[in-house]
Amino acid sequence: MATIELNHVSKTYSGDVRAVSEATLAFRDGEFIVLVGPSGCGKSTLLRMIAGLEAITGGTVAIGGRVVNDLPPKDRDVAMVFQNYALYPHMTVEKNMAFGLLRRRQHSGLSGLLFHATERRAELAAIERKVLDTARTLGIEPLLARLPRALSGGQRQRVALGRALVREPQVFLFDEPLSNLDARLRIEMRAEIRELHRRTKASMVYVTHDQEEAMTLADRMVVMKFGVVQQFGTPGECYARPANRFVAGFVGTPVMNFIDGRVDAGVFVSTDMRVPLPAARWPRMPAGPATLGVRPDQLRVLHSADAGAGNTATEGTSVPATVRAIERLGDRMDIAVMIGGTRLTARIENDDRLVEGDSVLVHIGLGAAHLFASGEDGARLADAHDVAR
Amino acid sequence: MPVTVHANSTGSSAARVTGADRVVAILCFMARDGIAVNVSRIVGITVRWTLGVAAVALVVWAFARVGWRELARSRTDAGGTTLTVLHWSGEGGPEEDDIVESSLRAFEAANPGLHVKRINPGDAGSFYTKLQTMMAAGEPPDIFYVGNERIPSFAALGLMEPLDRFVAADTASTEPGALKIADLYPQVVDAFRYDGNTAGHGTLWGIPKDFTTVGFYYNKDLFRKAGVPLPKDDWTWDDFIATARAIGAAKDDAGEHFTGAEFVTWPAMVRAYLFTEGRDVVGATFDDVTITDPKAMAALERLRAWRHDEEHALTSGRSKIATGSAVFSTGRVGMAGPFGRWVVPEYRRIQAFDWDFAPLPRGSERANIILTVSWSISAQSKHKDDAWKLVRWLTNVEGQKAQARLGLAIPSNRAAAESDAFIDQAKPANDRGFLDAIPTSKVINWPPNAKFEQLLGTNLDEGLKTGNKPLPEAVAAFETLWKQERDSPLGRGGFPAMPWRMLTTIIIAITAAGAAAVVLWFRKRPLPRHEAREERAGFLFASPWIIGFAVFMAFPVVLSLLLSFTSWRGLATLSEAKWVGVGNYQQLLLEDSRFKTSVAVTLYYVLVAVPLGQLLALGAALLMNQKVRGIPFFRAAWYLPSVLAGVGVAVLWRWVFDSDAGLMNSVLAPILSPFGLAPPHWFGADAKTWGAPAFAIMSAWFVGGSMMIYLAGLQGIPDELNEAAEVDGVSRVRRFVGITLPMLGPVILFNVLMAVIGSFQVFTQAFVMTGGEPGDLTRFYVLYLYNQGFEYYEMGYASAMAWILLAVVLVVTVVILRSSARHIYYEALKK
Repeated sequence: MATIELNHVSKTYSGDVRAVSEATLAFRDGEFIVLVGPSGCGKSTLLRMIAGLEAITGGTVAIGGRVVNDLPPKDRDVAMVFQNYALYPHMTVEKNMAFGLLRRRQHSGLSGLLFHATERRAELAAIERKVLDTARTLGIEPLLARLPRALSGGQRQRVALGRALVREPQVFLFDEPLSNLDARLRIEMRAEIRELHRRTKASMVYVTHDQEEAMTLADRMVVMKFGVVQQFGTPGECYARPANRFVAGFVGTPVMNFIDGRVDAGVFVSTDMRVPLPAARWPRMPAGPATLGVRPDQLRVLHSADAGAGNTATEGTSVPATVRAIERLGDRMDIAVMIGGTRLTARIENDDRLVEGDSVLVHIGLGAAHLFASGEDGARLADAHDVAR
Repeated sequence: MPVTVHANSTGSSAARVTGADRVVAILCFMARDGIAVNVSRIVGITVRWTLGVAAVALVVWAFARVGWRELARSRTDAGGTTLTVLHWSGEGGPEEDDIVESSLRAFEAANPGLHVKRINPGDAGSFYTKLQTMMAAGEPPDIFYVGNERIPSFAALGLMEPLDRFVAADTASTEPGALKIADLYPQVVDAFRYDGNTAGHGTLWGIPKDFTTVGFYYNKDLFRKAGVPLPKDDWTWDDFIATARAIGAAKDDAGEHFTGAEFVTWPAMVRAYLFTEGRDVVGATFDDVTITDPKAMAALERLRAWRHDEEHALTSGRSKIATGSAVFSTGRVGMAGPFGRWVVPEYRRIQAFDWDFAPLPRGSERANIILTVSWSISAQSKHKDDAWKLVRWLTNVEGQKAQARLGLAIPSNRAAAESDAFIDQAKPANDRGFLDAIPTSKVINWPPNAKFEQLLGTNLDEGLKTGNKPLPEAVAAFETLWKQERDSPLGRGGFPAMPWRMLTTIIIAITAAGAAAVVLWFRKRPLPRHEAREERAGFLFASPWIIGFAVFMAFPVVLSLLLSFTSWRGLATLSEAKWVGVGNYQQLLLEDSRFKTSVAVTLYYVLVAVPLGQLLALGAALLMNQKVRGIPFFRAAWYLPSVLAGVGVAVLWRWVFDSDAGLMNSVLAPILSPFGLAPPHWFGADAKTWGAPAFAIMSAWFVGGSMMIYLAGLQGIPDELNEAAEVDGVSRVRRFVGITLPMLGPVILFNVLMAVIGSFQVFTQAFVMTGGEPGDLTRFYVLYLYNQGFEYYEMGYASAMAWILLAVVLVVTVVILRSSARHIYYEALKK
């Protein structure tokens, strides 16, 4: 159980390829941290620097208050689970789990062998016991005598977990551990890892590219892009108050709708629509280019027959649109609509009457909408909620 | 399939072959007309058939071409008589080649209708190999060189035509160019007489082209420096050793001692030395070994003591490079011999000092030996009379004088020898010394069995030269081995001829039956038509290999298996092979002690070389697997040596392991001397312990190939495995032992198997560096096999050895595979 502090941590490869730049983060003791981002964002590199598998080229990493920059992995008291499981193919499950526990013999040579034979036997018995206990908690006890080649993917991942668990480290590190599993198994294992965290109360750092996995697992999550930390906060914060357009787009499914335009005298204007901005939320918004971000569940689609039925929302605007595509999900549906040249996705209650080509009225709700400075990674423009906090 | 289609689409370049356009048009037409034709499939079939037919055509063409060449050759022969001449030009070099060539052209000019085809394979060794293959093929050259030491073995095999009738006719004849045998030195002519038991009298088998007597070449400058008188023609062995000691006591300006003399202990020279004491190694017959006669042993012991009990009197014999004729040219040795005339062209290049020649010193009597080479006529020649004309042309006065100018040998024609062509102004001044030794010279009697000379040579070397065995032991070993050889039931003869016709019939029948069975089996299988077509195309593609394998591999393999049950001298045609049943195997496994020695030496080598080589290769691969700057350079540097040719490397390493001046001992000596140790004499006195390991050390030179395979294996191990263990706190050593090694399992197995197989077959290095010596201490299995096959011409025996080796390697391989199966995990190879 330990805190992890990253202070201006950077990784620069030969030349000036920056994999991670100036990451400053503090993880609390026992916290479940998820590093998330698209591939190549530096999340794995950051994890490997914490593990000690990758040299740190700038800044410091401290585990439990101790700077570990120059410590080899074995002295950092961490355990790691790899994407490809990294099970030793020539060892049984039991040996795989025990391998990291067998310490180097303290006394070498024949005298050491004779003198410490009893001691060693006791040590081996202790290890065996520990492996058995861990296997039991993971439900892999019946597999102990098998070789990895005789295991399914899920079983292999469980063994990999067990191998980390049995070492009782201060910090667990996971490098995309579930990405080789099928969707169903992934959800199952996710719950199990969460449960594991609850039980061990160990600090865990978990790398994934899957934002849903990040949201469900994390106490707090670090969203990264191109080696730069975009936001560090709880899943709720990242979803509700994304730091910038990238985070807003990365977190949440379906992806947030972005409409490029400008703010002019309290109204958001794009080529295809005008959306009045409530002054209570965005007081004194200066005029200039901006992007409006609206999550698909904030859009409502009204059949043209129902238009004028008086769906009066407190905030927002209704605009006429055409249905372009429909994806039915059972109780709900994702529907793509065209407002002029702007394509928006809405997630609404299932409505069997809607078909492609229908003319509809789209209501854009602004309750959870955000304004971003223009540009791909434009920062979220502060609103009344931020002031209130 | 329409014939027009594939006939028109043989070219892949549509631009060049207008037919291709037509094919496409036809195909489109067919498709449009609703014929169910898959265009791409037809194109595919066409291409496949074209390539398949091309492959077959290639094979047919290759065989037809060779056949046509032979046919064409025999047709041009029809225009006249063509005589084939085989000779060598070892020490004589290109000049000897030129002299023979111009002499032959002059012969052609003087004898219209006679053509001469000349073959010169190079040195004497290559010459005898070529002669052997020509003999075995049943197409021997009409006339060829034969060294007098081989006359008994060639005569016993009936390879040469007796020449007495030609000589008699010529003696009576008055025609110009007739050979008068009295013009030649009778002692030299006698060297080519052999009566079936003893050399020196009986039937005449060759006309000597030239000859030499032997003696010592001496460095006049060193004699002056040491203040000793120059040798006279009647000097004694006491004079010889006194002179050698005086020169050995002298020092150069740097304070280094000179060496008195280089005394080569080749079998012929040792016998010449014994002649001067009135003794020989054998008596009247080869059953009567007289080397243990007290006076003979005393003489040999005297020679041994000079070399090994005294400093600087004789060269030590430890060094392999600093022996033979070359050591004289260094100017650091007072005398070198006994050598014949053949070193003269080489010594004439010496600028640094003045030198001359003295005949062999006398012991209790004056003696010398005659070493000579003849022109002989093949017993199977179709033009013996014409061949005789050529022989006497090549040995006439003019031809001999031309040869004499090389200085390489003495003309066998007395007039030529006494002329200024031989007794010339060039060094040595004492040309007459060679001639004066003739009256006291003897012809050395050699048995038909070539093993006699080698047994004598290798064993005497151990006692006299390297000194790794006490002299009486070495002599006793020679006696025992030669007796074994005499007692071998294989040597007795009287075996039935090999029933080749029956065997051929049986083999053809079996092959035909097998082929028929295969064809039937293929016919029977219910294959869909398109698959059958694919299969036919596949076999067509593979046909060049299948035919090549059958002709160049399967046939020789089967033949060698059959030969292993025969006694067949590789010098005669296969029809001469005699059926001995398992006689060869019996002799090898139960009797042949040299075979056992070669097995022991080879096993010793395998046991040292394989672990050493594999550890080094793996270690190097681990180093080369590091991620450091410039690693491609290091990888190339490590791999490069294994690309070099084996013979060149062997020559290089012979120098490295030289006991006196070698790199290895120069480095080891200062390291070992503080502990009171001296580096070993690798191929000398310590050869029993260090001979095979020296070759094992040398094999490290070729470690690059294994290293590359290990490197590939290492790179196939997923990084996460090591990282997982690293994070888990497993030490570097345990990671290597616990993860890297097991993951490399299949690669290690492969490399070890390859190394074991390769080590059993070690040959080139030993062949070049030591020739198996001293004694048989570096005579590896395949080297002994080579000796049997290509030096003693025991092809049947050698074939049996090859099959035993195959069996042993097979057993060892299976044992390794079986015993390792439980410890090898192939997962590492899969991603």
